[in-house]
Amino acid sequence: MLAVLDLLLGAPLQLPEEEEEGPLKKSVRCHPFLRVRARPTRPDGFSLMAEPGGKMEEGKVQSADGLLAHLAALEARAHEEAVKREEKEQQEERLARLRARVQELRLQRDELRAKVDLQHKAQLGEEGLVSDPARPSARAVLGWKIESVKRMLQVFYLTGISGKLTRQGVCFCISTAYEGTYLDSYYLDLLTKAEVQIRRHSVPAFIPLEQIAKKYLQTDVRRFLSVLSDHLNAYAGRRYQADQLQEHFSDLIKGTLQRNSLCNLLVFNYNVSSESDAFPYSARLVYRDVCRSLPTEVVVSTTPEAPAPLAEAAAAHSDLFRRVAVHEAFRSFRDTGAGVAAALASPP
Amino acid sequence: MDNSVCQVYEDEIQALEEEIKLLTEKYEDGQQESTFYSDEEILMSKKSFWREFQAESKGHGFPSDLKAQLENLERDLSFLMKLTGIHFTGHSKKTVEKTRNGTVQKHRLSGNCHSLSFQLKFQLLEMQSKENVSAVITDLSIIVESEDLKVKEFVSSTEEHGSLLAFFRSLSSYAEWYEHRRRTFLHFKGKYPDIVTLPEGLLGDQIILRNPKPSGFELMIIWKIHIDKEGRSTPVLDLLTKVPEQVLEQKMASIEEAPAQFRSMLLLFGIETAIENLIKVVRLEE
Repeated sequence: MLAVLDLLLGAPLQLPEEEEEGPLKKSVRCHPFLRVRARPTRPDGFSLMAEPGGKMEEGKVQSADGLLAHLAALEARAHEEAVKREEKEQQEERLARLRARVQELRLQRDELRAKVDLQHKAQLGEEGLVSDPARPSARAVLGWKIESVKRMLQVFYLTGISGKLTRQGVCFCISTAYEGTYLDSYYLDLLTKAEVQIRRHSVPAFIPLEQIAKKYLQTDVRRFLSVLSDHLNAYAGRRYQADQLQEHFSDLIKGTLQRNSLCNLLVFNYNVSSESDAFPYSARLVYRDVCRSLPTEVVVSTTPEAPAPLAEAAAAHSDLFRRVAVHEAFRSFRDTGAGVAAALASPP
Repeated sequence: MDNSVCQVYEDEIQALEEEIKLLTEKYEDGQQESTFYSDEEILMSKKSFWREFQAESKGHGFPSDLKAQLENLERDLSFLMKLTGIHFTGHSKKTVEKTRNGTVQKHRLSGNCHSLSFQLKFQLLEMQSKENVSAVITDLSIIVESEDLKVKEFVSSTEEHGSLLAFFRSLSSYAEWYEHRRRTFLHFKGKYPDIVTLPEGLLGDQIILRNPKPSGFELMIIWKIHIDKEGRSTPVLDLLTKVPEQVLEQKMASIEEAPAQFRSMLLLFGIETAIENLIKVVRLEE
């Protein structure tokens, strides 16, 4: 905008390379737009491109002001059109690229579908052995066997004890799970040069690793792993139950569940329905056998002023928590309602 | 307006990419499953590969040493099988679903743990989140060769909860006791063939100690392996006596006490010594 004004008023333009002929005349030129390089004509630095073939309307312009306004308007319109054209080009380019990609992927997908279908038909025809038309290369055979052994090793992870031999010994991986859900895995890097030593491990500090190692590591590695696995799985199971309780039944629990790092002590106040705001029951679960995921001691109490039915329910809950995982117990509270849950909790 | 067209294309691209991933995995699984090379073919391939590899290495470049890789993997596998006692005899995997969020695979697994064989079928759902990968088992079906009622109860409870890990851990400890019992029976049968009989064979749970002289005095030890709800196995041994009438009148008291004494012996000396002592008693009845 400013540059055009400069032109019209005859002030010299500060254009570095522009080959302008001398001072401009006040007449309208054939090229209504000039290429402006050095100075941005808009606040965002957008530069104006010359439009060859853009023609000036041949009208009689009365005054310098009118001309100015007219030129400014033309400039603005040209700018808008240029922007729109660029956007449109970009959009079209983008669409073209996407279309091409879709075609490419469709082709790939169709090829794969055909391959899988052919494979399936071949499998239905003859089971097991495949007669390769060309004699397979040693590389292909070894590649197949490698994949086969790798898959078998992956399955060992699901059994709870897996690992691999290292230059100085062996690195074991103990996996944990609660029912069908696999939880954290723990690693033990063992040196087996002279006596067996634990070089590194990821077992948490509250698991008595040293005691277990002292008892079994030198004489019976299998037993060592089995006992350690018992501890880790029980801990993982208790932690899972407490996490599930906190995550899915937080409306039935007052505040957050209190627990220790080994998750063998849980203390919380709760209710069996979220209808009232009170949490009349208070529970304390102790898991004295650290290799089990059910508590050995449960104390459920209510306030001294509580009515009799509540006290009875507390006793029933106490029994329930001893027999059923804590988050399952809460699921039964929610599903069947407090009264029925209490009835279910009483021994058959 | 144009943006919505772009969006449609982009959605299709994503769907196609996922489908391609799934099909690729299905194809690779299929190739793996339908191919089979015998041990001789593998051995031959190892040899011919090694020759090629040595020739290639003398030139330039570093071709991947497949033979070494295979041998390392096989060593790891055989170590694990020996340590855990779990031998897998067959495994097949089929990818059923593969999306951005996760993969669903169907697995079939067969094998044995010591002398107990099993067959499993299950579905494994693996989900990738920002922090970790989670794995969940569903549709678990287990077949174990056992007549034991407790074992059958345990297996069906395991199936119900999808507790695959618990199954393997319990199977391991149960199978160890099973194997220990079998070896103990074998040992005594070998050492005292005229006194020891195994009415149900080595894999049964009864061992009879009988003096060869036709006095009719017999001791039967029943050795059961209990498995509790949490999958823990414990041996439970009991003593039954079969005594002819004449002997009974004379030694009523001591014979009545025999089972209790056997139990204390078990606690004090362990199973093998307790059985050994009983055999000595039976032999002395001459």
